[in-house]
Amino acid sequence: MNWIGLVAALTAFFSIWAGHVAVRKIEAASRTIWVPTVIAIVLGLIAEYCSLVTNYLPLKTALGIIGITLLWDALEFTRQQKRIIKGHAPSNPNNPRHAKILAEHKTATTLDLLKRDPIGHVVSADEAIQLITDNWH
Amino acid sequence: MNFFGITIGTTTLLIIGLGFPLVIRGERHLGYLWWPYMLGIGFISIFASLFIVANWLSVVIGVLGSTFVWGSTELKEQAVRTELGWFPFNGNKIKPPFENIIKKWRAPHL
Repeated sequence: MNWIGLVAALTAFFSIWAGHVAVRKIEAASRTIWVPTVIAIVLGLIAEYCSLVTNYLPLKTALGIIGITLLWDALEFTRQQKRIIKGHAPSNPNNPRHAKILAEHKTATTLDLLKRDPIGHVVSADEAIQLITDNWH
Repeated sequence: MNFFGITIGTTTLLIIGLGFPLVIRGERHLGYLWWPYMLGIGFISIFASLFIVANWLSVVIGVLGSTFVWGSTELKEQAVRTELGWFPFNGNKIKPPFENIIKKWRAPHL
């Protein structure tokens, strides 16, 4: 049995999951995106350096994957802000940066339009809101 | 000191990158109700990685498996994105075997 594939699979899955959730929450809460971006880059580079110098293969593999995931997450902060501008992710009106986006871009919204089950046909803008409103009650 | 970890990390990024068109195209042509099959392929792939002697290949197959597992959790949300007009919507999808049973299950989402 070779466990290295399982180590890589679990690391990839859980680091991507954690990154996915963290990017959304941190981008919504942070007043700037450059601070979390720089932190993610630094942490990613540290993880890659540790992967380079360790000789224990499972740890080397896990750190290599975690590091690249963090570097990708750094990029995701900018991508997430673009989703907020387009209304593809809900904005946080209590965050001054998001409040500014809400004021400047008509597409931005505080609603999470994805928070529902598929219904099998294309929906209008009004219907899209109705569907998630129904879910809340 | 060797670059195995960094190479694997970069390879993982590229494999996960394949997950994007996999989810988008898969949902468009097949629909989100194929999620249990995608999940199954993922688990089989991760299980198969245990029996591969070459480390790099074991990692590639393992990560490919986790990409399928992750993809299965993204299908439902992708279906909603097409309904919102963010991606092209296809009304003539290929139905999965045991569709009626799958419909009763809650599609995973993370």
